[in-house]
Amino acid sequence: MAAGTTREKILENLVQILEDMTADWDMELDDPIGEATRLMADLEFESIDVVQFIVAIEERFQRRGMPFEELLMEDGRYVDEITVRDTVDFLDRHLGQ
Amino acid sequence: MNPTLLIGLDGATFTILDPLIRNGVMPFLASFLERGVRAELHSTPNPLTPPAWIALMTGRNPGTHGVFDFIWSEERGSEVYFTLYNFRDIQCETIWSMVSRQQGRVGTLNFPMMSPPPEVNGYVIPGLVSWKHLRRNIFPRQVFEELKQLPGFSAREMAWDFDMEKEAAKGVPEEEYENWIRFHIRRERQWFAAVRHLMRTRPADLTAILFDGPDKMLHMGWRFLDPDLFPAQPTSWEARIRTLLHEYFRELDTFLAEIEALAGPEARIFMASDHGFGPSREVLRINTWLAEQGYLTWRQVEDLAEDDRERYRRLIDRHFVLLDWDRTTAYASTTTSNGIHIRVARSEGGSGVPVAEYETFRQELIDKLYRITDHEGRPVISRVMTREEAFPGPNNLRAPDLTIATRDHGFLSIVNREPVLYRRPKVEGTHYPVGVFMAAGPGISRGGSLGAMQLVDIAPCLLHSLGLPVPSDLEGRVVEGLFRKEYLEENPVRQGRPTVRPDSYALLDHHTLEADEEAQIIKQLQALGYME
Repeated sequence: MAAGTTREKILENLVQILEDMTADWDMELDDPIGEATRLMADLEFESIDVVQFIVAIEERFQRRGMPFEELLMEDGRYVDEITVRDTVDFLDRHLGQ
Repeated sequence: MNPTLLIGLDGATFTILDPLIRNGVMPFLASFLERGVRAELHSTPNPLTPPAWIALMTGRNPGTHGVFDFIWSEERGSEVYFTLYNFRDIQCETIWSMVSRQQGRVGTLNFPMMSPPPEVNGYVIPGLVSWKHLRRNIFPRQVFEELKQLPGFSAREMAWDFDMEKEAAKGVPEEEYENWIRFHIRRERQWFAAVRHLMRTRPADLTAILFDGPDKMLHMGWRFLDPDLFPAQPTSWEARIRTLLHEYFRELDTFLAEIEALAGPEARIFMASDHGFGPSREVLRINTWLAEQGYLTWRQVEDLAEDDRERYRRLIDRHFVLLDWDRTTAYASTTTSNGIHIRVARSEGGSGVPVAEYETFRQELIDKLYRITDHEGRPVISRVMTREEAFPGPNNLRAPDLTIATRDHGFLSIVNREPVLYRRPKVEGTHYPVGVFMAAGPGISRGGSLGAMQLVDIAPCLLHSLGLPVPSDLEGRVVEGLFRKEYLEENPVRQGRPTVRPDSYALLDHHTLEADEEAQIIKQLQALGYME
């Protein structure tokens, strides 16, 4: 799965990854995981969880070496929040390349 | 294949094990050594968990396997982009794969950098993984469901607790010592329950379990365990901590005994540590020194935008290095790397050291490092190694430009704090370059000491114990004296074809490549007239 993957397919995969990842975390989410989900505020991600998320994405889409710093950093600084939508946008830009 | 067990004892050293054996704390280990052999096991140039265990697992040194630290970093804009090393960063084949592709079954528990887990002919439960991600990182996943059924199983207790480890890295407060030791006793019980269950339900030709508690106990508890340092008249608290530490090692000893019993009389048991341990009395604040020498310029939190200040204060509290990159030519990014990175200019006129001046710059820096002295004029650094010296090999680009060994082997501090050389108020344990190797079982020599061994020797020894050939490109060897002469005459060491690239096992059709290879060689010899 890589080039030609649609936004819908990317979103579907990310939701699956996040649901699987958080299955044991004993969280009560107000809304199901979707594009608007915030990794830090809603899923209580810490930096180590972001690392695991990236590895899971690379494994799922069978692509390594994507410039994830574009997602995690802005103007040379780490961002405080990442949404599922940000991640879909990032993958939509890079999976086709 | 002959059943073979590898028991990892993270950070174990004979400096502590021998007194524990003499004092009757580890009776099983005493009998094990009477029946087997021991050797000093030399670690990687920076004796640290990830590069060292991977050297053991691959039979290759870090310059070949490509892992040098827990994390690696790269400059991005005004910050450093950090990421954790993981299994996919290992640039050569692991022993788990070498055995799997020759139809041997493997089981591996708690070894670092084993996530995402490789597909093996058996199971992998990785170490250094948070409980939040343990289930997803076990191969096959069914094993996690099996473990959940064990009485008392707790993923939170068994897996790596990053919050707790982060706090511990700053130094365990004395009032927490008892809790810290008890936590690790419970943690080892979890790993022991897991390996006991899996040895019964999923027997493997090569079973490998890593107990990482010795490292934790020795960091915090060195002064209680080192006979030269423990006071003759201890306080009741000091005596209690020592007793509790003995309780940890006594229970570990019973686990080792039970594992040997489970493995059965045919099994050969190998024990190894990734590095040794010893006392550290001082801390070298290397970035403070680099700043004093004009190589490094700190950025001040007060100079940042107001919105950023609190976040950076938190980062600095977690040992983040906030630097003015345009005015920095050399820096240490992590304390665990014991290394200095030199910033080479990316373009002509860009900040950093021009490529043409790199060698001169580096040599000047080395000369100055050797001139760091204490207040009595004695040198603090015992060795400075260039990247090529410390980590020769094709995959050394992520290694620091310089790797430093201080006189007491302590980790370098990277924080912005005076003075450059800080005397610890109390002795702490730190990683030393010489660890332990022990082995016993059928065909193993009895009751002696072998010559010095290297971590890369372990994989060849394990493969030979299993009855498999040793790939020709491994950097270690089956050490002399380990196996009895008669055993070696009947079972000579066989050299096999080179290793395959990482992850290839899953792509191979699980054929016995060695058998194919042998058939091919026989065909060639026949064609040349050497064989009929």
